[in-house]
Amino acid sequence: MAQSNFDRRRINGPDESYQPIFESDDELEPKWKPGNPRKGRGARDLRPIYLKAGFISQANGSAYIETEKTKIACAVYGPRQSKTTVYNEKGRLNVEVKFAPFSCTRRRVPIRDAEDRSVAVQIQQALVAAVRLELLPKSTIDIFLTIIENDGIEGCVAAGSVAASVALADAGIEMLGLVASCSAAIVGEEVWVDPTDEEGRIASGTLVLAGMPALGTITSVWQTGSMAPHDAVKCMEACQECCTDIHAVMAQVLLENAGKT
Amino acid sequence: MAAACTSASSSSDSAEQDALKALTFQRLHPRTYLERFLAKNTRPDRREFDEWRDISLNVGSISTADGSALVRLGSTTVVCGVKAEIAEPELDHPEEGFLVPNLDLPAICSPKFKPGPPTDEAQVLSDRLNEVLVSSGVVPTASLCIEPGKAVWVLYVDATCMNYDGNAFDATLLAMVAALKNTRLPKATYNEETKRTICSRKVMEPLRIGRLPTSFSFGIFDGTHMLADPTSFEEPLLDTTISVVVDETGGLTSVMQLGLGIVGGDDVLDKCIKAAKTCWRATRRNVYETS
Repeated sequence: MAQSNFDRRRINGPDESYQPIFESDDELEPKWKPGNPRKGRGARDLRPIYLKAGFISQANGSAYIETEKTKIACAVYGPRQSKTTVYNEKGRLNVEVKFAPFSCTRRRVPIRDAEDRSVAVQIQQALVAAVRLELLPKSTIDIFLTIIENDGIEGCVAAGSVAASVALADAGIEMLGLVASCSAAIVGEEVWVDPTDEEGRIASGTLVLAGMPALGTITSVWQTGSMAPHDAVKCMEACQECCTDIHAVMAQVLLENAGKT
Repeated sequence: MAAACTSASSSSDSAEQDALKALTFQRLHPRTYLERFLAKNTRPDRREFDEWRDISLNVGSISTADGSALVRLGSTTVVCGVKAEIAEPELDHPEEGFLVPNLDLPAICSPKFKPGPPTDEAQVLSDRLNEVLVSSGVVPTASLCIEPGKAVWVLYVDATCMNYDGNAFDATLLAMVAALKNTRLPKATYNEETKRTICSRKVMEPLRIGRLPTSFSFGIFDGTHMLADPTSFEEPLLDTTISVVVDETGGLTSVMQLGLGIVGGDDVLDKCIKAAKTCWRATRRNVYETS
């Protein structure tokens, strides 16, 4: 039941409304069975990435990423003066994520909830090791992400980290390297890279890895679900390979953008 | 050779210096900056007083929404998505569905918005959009009825601004109407015995659209100059903003005024309405046909 709480700051609908229920005999496509190959692409193939930098004129840096059904916009404002009076030697990195109400299959109420914050924390973890915050005392860097269309939370976290990294570079903030991020899932016995929402649901466990391919280091690993340790290592290796490809795309986009301005 | 190089670099240096001086002047004295441009009969972005920015409209790109649209009015970018849900109608209007529009101005779109609950600006814009959509009858609420007294459609029309460069009202109205025009709802049947509504995945029907309004906003600066389609730089300096809403036959739907009363003259409203109709005839007549 999607309840719309009465929010006196917005136009409200009826007290309770629920998602439309569909006929149960509408099985257009057969369900996946273990042993079936992946639909539409190979086990280690990424979805094609469309990346654009500098599309929000009001922000210091911005990026838009689209991978089939995941669409995320990111803006970076900063370095700005810190609001707190406490002196901080190193700059602060503040990541805020917002899901658009129409981004998921079930409408999301505009109030921020735990899922927004957990995605924000994961993206912040991926980036904080790469940004040279010691050069920016008393400052805050604000990274705002809006998820326009959501096709799996792991995909959102990975794509969000990539977009945030490109936006930071577009804003001219000094970093140790570009952060690329990728997700993988264990489906049956195989490792499938870049799972969609459907594939994530049939997987037994998923893993999101973020790292700096230029330096060959890893900045964050999040694993959910159940998988054996050797499977987790296989996923990490698969992700690292894909991160190198994603890094090439990011560098290309930034070069083109710099060439235009 | 060396002398030519240094003179070339010094001239580009001085051009950079001039640009920096202009930028500093714009930041410290925005009002005087704008007045200097208006004295020369132009605006900071080199538009005429009655010139609108280019509009680009893109519909149906978001698969999780029942209808969607992306509008770019110059740099102002607004994304709108329509989600349909089912609810019980109100007791005194058993055959009417609900249309719930909302505009969100998040921190991503401009440095002047901070994260948190909707600001005054967002609330005012949401309310104005609600008035226009209801008063112009874009989607007659009677067409959203599934079973009188038992089940009706609720259309949540949520717009999010991505880049705020002034005149969010025009861009959002365009996005909302285009998204509604693009919406397809599944065919719903109410089952008397189980008291539930079941929808079909196979049969999708487009919404019945009543009218297609477009709006034209003007800003009055200093009581005298009428600037069409103000940018985010011009907006805080304006005394009054007038929005004229025109429907698909070129007829007037509504006129709204925000800010101080008009000091210049009684004919300012007439001028705005005429300018809106001229612009509509010239460029916006078929803006919704692209979907």
